[in-house]
Amino acid sequence: MEPMYEYAWIIPVLPLAGAMIIGLGLLSFNKAINQVRKGSAVFIVSLLGAAMVISFALLWSQIQGHPPYTQMFEWAAAGDFRLKMGYTVDHLTAMMLVIVTTVAFFVMIYTDGYMAHDPGYVRFYAYLSLFSSSMLGLVVSPNLVQVYVFWELVGMCSYLLIGFWYDRKAAADACQKAFVTNRVGDFGLLLGMLALFWATGTFEFEAMGERLADLVESGALSAGLAALFAILVFLGPVAKSAQVPLHVWLPDAMEGPTPISALIHAATMVAAGVFLIARMYPVFEHVPTATNVIAWTGAVTAFIGATTAVTQNDIKKGLAYSTMSQLGYMVMAMGVGAYSAGLFHLMTHAYFKAMLFLGSGSVIHGMEAVVGHDPALAQDMRLMGGLRKYMPVTAITFLIGTLAICGIPPFAGFWSKDEILGATFIANPALWAIGWLTAGITAFYMFRMYFNTFEGGFRGTDTEIQKQLKLAQMQKMGLSLGPGAMNPQELTLDAELDHDAHNDHDGHGNHHHSSEPHESPVSMTLPLVALAVPSMLIGLLGTPFANYFEAFIHPPSEVIEGIPSEVDWSEFLPMAGSSVGVGLIGISLAVLMYLSRKIDPAALAQQIKPLYNLSLNKWYFDDIYEVVFVQGSRRLARQVLEVDLRIVDGIVNLAGFVTLVTGEALKYLETGRAQFYVLIVFGAVLGLVLISGITG
Amino acid sequence: MNTTDFPWLTTAILFPIVAALAIPFIPDKDGKTVRWYSLVVGLIDFVILVYAFYTQYDMSNPGLQLVESYTWVETLGLRWSVGADGLSMPLILLTGFISTLAILASWPVTLKPKLFYFLMLAMYGGQLGVFAVQDMLLFFLMWELELIPVYLLLSIWGGKKRLYAATKFILYTAGGSLFILLAGLAMAFYGDTVTFDMREIINKDFPLRFQLIAYAGFLIAYGVKLPIFPLHTWLPDAHGEATAPVHMLLAGILLKMGGYALIRMNLEMLPDAHVYFAPILVILGVVNIIYAALTSFAQRSLKRKIAYSSISHMGFVLIGMASFTDLGLSGAMLQMVSHGLIGASLFFLVGATYDRTHTLILDEMGGVGRKMPKIFAMFTTCSMASLALPGMSGFVAELMVFVGFATSDAYSLTFKVIVVILAAVGVILTPIYLLSMLREIFYGPENKELVEHEILIDAEPREVFVIACLLIPIIGIGFYPKLVTQIYDAKTIAVTAELRDSLFTLAEQQTRSRPLALQPMQAPSLQ
Repeated sequence: MEPMYEYAWIIPVLPLAGAMIIGLGLLSFNKAINQVRKGSAVFIVSLLGAAMVISFALLWSQIQGHPPYTQMFEWAAAGDFRLKMGYTVDHLTAMMLVIVTTVAFFVMIYTDGYMAHDPGYVRFYAYLSLFSSSMLGLVVSPNLVQVYVFWELVGMCSYLLIGFWYDRKAAADACQKAFVTNRVGDFGLLLGMLALFWATGTFEFEAMGERLADLVESGALSAGLAALFAILVFLGPVAKSAQVPLHVWLPDAMEGPTPISALIHAATMVAAGVFLIARMYPVFEHVPTATNVIAWTGAVTAFIGATTAVTQNDIKKGLAYSTMSQLGYMVMAMGVGAYSAGLFHLMTHAYFKAMLFLGSGSVIHGMEAVVGHDPALAQDMRLMGGLRKYMPVTAITFLIGTLAICGIPPFAGFWSKDEILGATFIANPALWAIGWLTAGITAFYMFRMYFNTFEGGFRGTDTEIQKQLKLAQMQKMGLSLGPGAMNPQELTLDAELDHDAHNDHDGHGNHHHSSEPHESPVSMTLPLVALAVPSMLIGLLGTPFANYFEAFIHPPSEVIEGIPSEVDWSEFLPMAGSSVGVGLIGISLAVLMYLSRKIDPAALAQQIKPLYNLSLNKWYFDDIYEVVFVQGSRRLARQVLEVDLRIVDGIVNLAGFVTLVTGEALKYLETGRAQFYVLIVFGAVLGLVLISGITG
Repeated sequence: MNTTDFPWLTTAILFPIVAALAIPFIPDKDGKTVRWYSLVVGLIDFVILVYAFYTQYDMSNPGLQLVESYTWVETLGLRWSVGADGLSMPLILLTGFISTLAILASWPVTLKPKLFYFLMLAMYGGQLGVFAVQDMLLFFLMWELELIPVYLLLSIWGGKKRLYAATKFILYTAGGSLFILLAGLAMAFYGDTVTFDMREIINKDFPLRFQLIAYAGFLIAYGVKLPIFPLHTWLPDAHGEATAPVHMLLAGILLKMGGYALIRMNLEMLPDAHVYFAPILVILGVVNIIYAALTSFAQRSLKRKIAYSSISHMGFVLIGMASFTDLGLSGAMLQMVSHGLIGASLFFLVGATYDRTHTLILDEMGGVGRKMPKIFAMFTTCSMASLALPGMSGFVAELMVFVGFATSDAYSLTFKVIVVILAAVGVILTPIYLLSMLREIFYGPENKELVEHEILIDAEPREVFVIACLLIPIIGIGFYPKLVTQIYDAKTIAVTAELRDSLFTLAEQQTRSRPLALQPMQAPSLQ
């Protein structure tokens, strides 16, 4: 097995090589590369496939009990400071490698169908490959600096991919928002990393945790300071895993193509935050204040995400808020010390959420045939309905995903969510109550989504709704006009332009719309079916009866012998029963409102207007940030520029010797002999040197 | 021929200058012969430098190498003495590299090509001279000499306000260099012996008061060049008016002269004064980072935006220098090299964009990404490098400065915390202005007016080649920083050791006698 470990670095390098080759090809031989579209795609997919095979082999070897393997080399050095980089393969890494490669593999296959007509097809594959490489690099990182390196790189890939359709204004804004918001988190991560290094003198996770514990114990470092350091580090995951208050970028990130939403903004990159908390667990476990902050952040995020998802009409935005909510669960689990439960949920969620997103992509793909390539129309659930008849495979897989996320046994989500809730109940019943309530809301909004999309009658051809949606979209664009954006007068024109531009851009016209959506091609449905299998079954790895998962993944400081299997029925039954119960209540409510239409949702919304608006406006986070941060920073920047122009430049221009010679300079400027003046200055200086040389 | 005795550096400095003198005699009607001639001269010179570095330079030696010293004007004690150590060598190589690429970037220049290339080659030699000379007087001459080509390049080939910008540039820099002259002469004449030799000046034992005054003088001169707030205002004007190749030289090399000279003179020759001035440098560095980032964000002109971003990045050089750690100083050096590459690439791309859009105002651009995807891709990559994306050189340099300063034992904890937090705010501000810039140029729907009136063709192979040449070292350093750091490591360690020596001696004196007004040293609270 040893050679396999020695060459494990090849896992992130393979997709990197693919991205480099295709990327350079695009820059140098653009036409030729774009002609061999399929060839490039097959090349990239097979490189990732190879990485996937090695990842599975590593996982197998780890399961067989191979000890963790680390390989390092000296990366940077100055004086007695040495910084090493390298890779490490342990249980956690092996699991993450498999999750990332499998999801990425299926998403890449799916991409072939979804992006078939896009002129950026090859570029998209290059980006996907670059992202996979960065993400794989992240999970094999042996120390915090290397995590930070790849952390930023996945952020950049996310930026590139959200802005993939760069001629859409919304995408342009969204990608910048994502990057900057993530940088705010990275700011904390960087500071925390520096502080921890200052205190412990190392970037290695376990040594860092041990030394920090020693320092706090011996009183050399106050517990408050240690907590502050840990919370600073946690800011990184807050941004990357879309936790409140830095979650605002994730829903907007849905402007990217759907395969990206599935791979990056649901299954892998956003889970990197949870992964980092797991890696930093040796540090966090000694700092109770920090773990409390983590747990509460997770719980609040889970709740806000779920309550916002309830009123979303854009199918992808709804899923995005649900991702945020589920990430909240994972973070909360990490916070209450349910290490393996949190990671278990990461794994199950990766599969079923990737499938749900790919399913939504399939729906959008089908809808585009009817309403055209306009995200405002193709993604809106008010235009969908009854799609089960037209796209059965998508509908069934979507239903499986919905059941999984709602926590209905025996689907994957049940086992992981139940484990989290069980652990949370022991740690803090208040947190459990939030999680429990959120589970109910989750079941409600997911079934609302499913019924609105796949059941009832098809509303896609209703031009009245279409018109309304277009109007609403234009108004929204008008509202989001900021300084430097378009003028309001151009608004209507631009909206039209945007629309037209997309039509010829995508090679489709508005004119040949069909009246019915169609099922997606095999390259898209196959990954859906493939991902449905783990969404149904993977939860069985972590049942309370025989928790293979926990035996494999547990905190480094814990020792677990054998397979944990002690089931306390008096504990398991009420916990599982209550969470399934609340899920069923949510589902029943959704049935009454959206399937059998016994309750009118609009009337209900009217009755609880303030709450409805709070949810519809995403708890007003975006509006507050717009005023405080976006406009605030613009104003500050303009003021500083004013100061620079008027005061600093003014004073220095006037000050000292300049005043003496400006008159002279101007005189020469007017006669156009400034060059001559320079020579005089130079001559005078030279003379001065000579004189001082002789007199000295 | 014995290669050890061959005057490598003198040859490298004089060859472009001599070659430039031949330009007026080259028969040339359309400027095409001259540009090829200059490019070949630039390349040969770069090859000479690389060869000398490869065969004659020992990276583990902290001392001066490739030394040549000839008496020039005996009565003055003026000697032609050149040499290279860890501080000079990376910057000499950078100069050769960037200058050659700048000549390649000058292809579109059609106005007075002979004079243009003459000046470019003259500057090539002058810049190498600044980094190589080891004589105070000669340094001053070189420093002044290199101003004239810049002045002319700005005032003849610049934009609309070129004369104003050029005059401002010359007044600032020449004004600043008076301080070099005064401080330099004072140091040369101090004590029993009169010497202009830098290595002998280092060994002189200056009293503290003298050191402080000389340090302040140098700081003003080099602060103009680097630039340091509030002496920076010439830079946006000069950069706003310069053409792309001049821009590359200004940002890529000229700014680094300030940083180089600060380390060479202020840190090496006046270590005691540095102990007192270091906190000021740190504060100025932080101001540079945040202040310039904010002004850059508010700028509506592309060139001025990038110009301010250069100022912002130079803040890290100041913080690194003042950290009293190997890592910090190493980071400062790396930041200079890295910014030389990144700054040059960004300014080149700004020039390339301007050649097509014929406007620098961001509001008049928009949506050009579809017409110019290659420029878009390259611009994005270089902006990512500039905002310190890991995997590229800027990140390593900034990380080294951060870690170096955070672990420094020369400052109190509170001071360090405030500085690190404020400097890290720059980490948030940089992407804000760079990504907004990208968004306004390339993203969104196409700007109708622009598309109709200008011919937006994509990058030509020459432009791709220039950027590729710059990106290779940027990414190379990002992946494996030791590529560059090992060139100067021995030297920066020696410099830091000297500085720490001064630091601890002064700190001890302070505890014994009355505390001085500035208290740089405070015992670390946790080790």
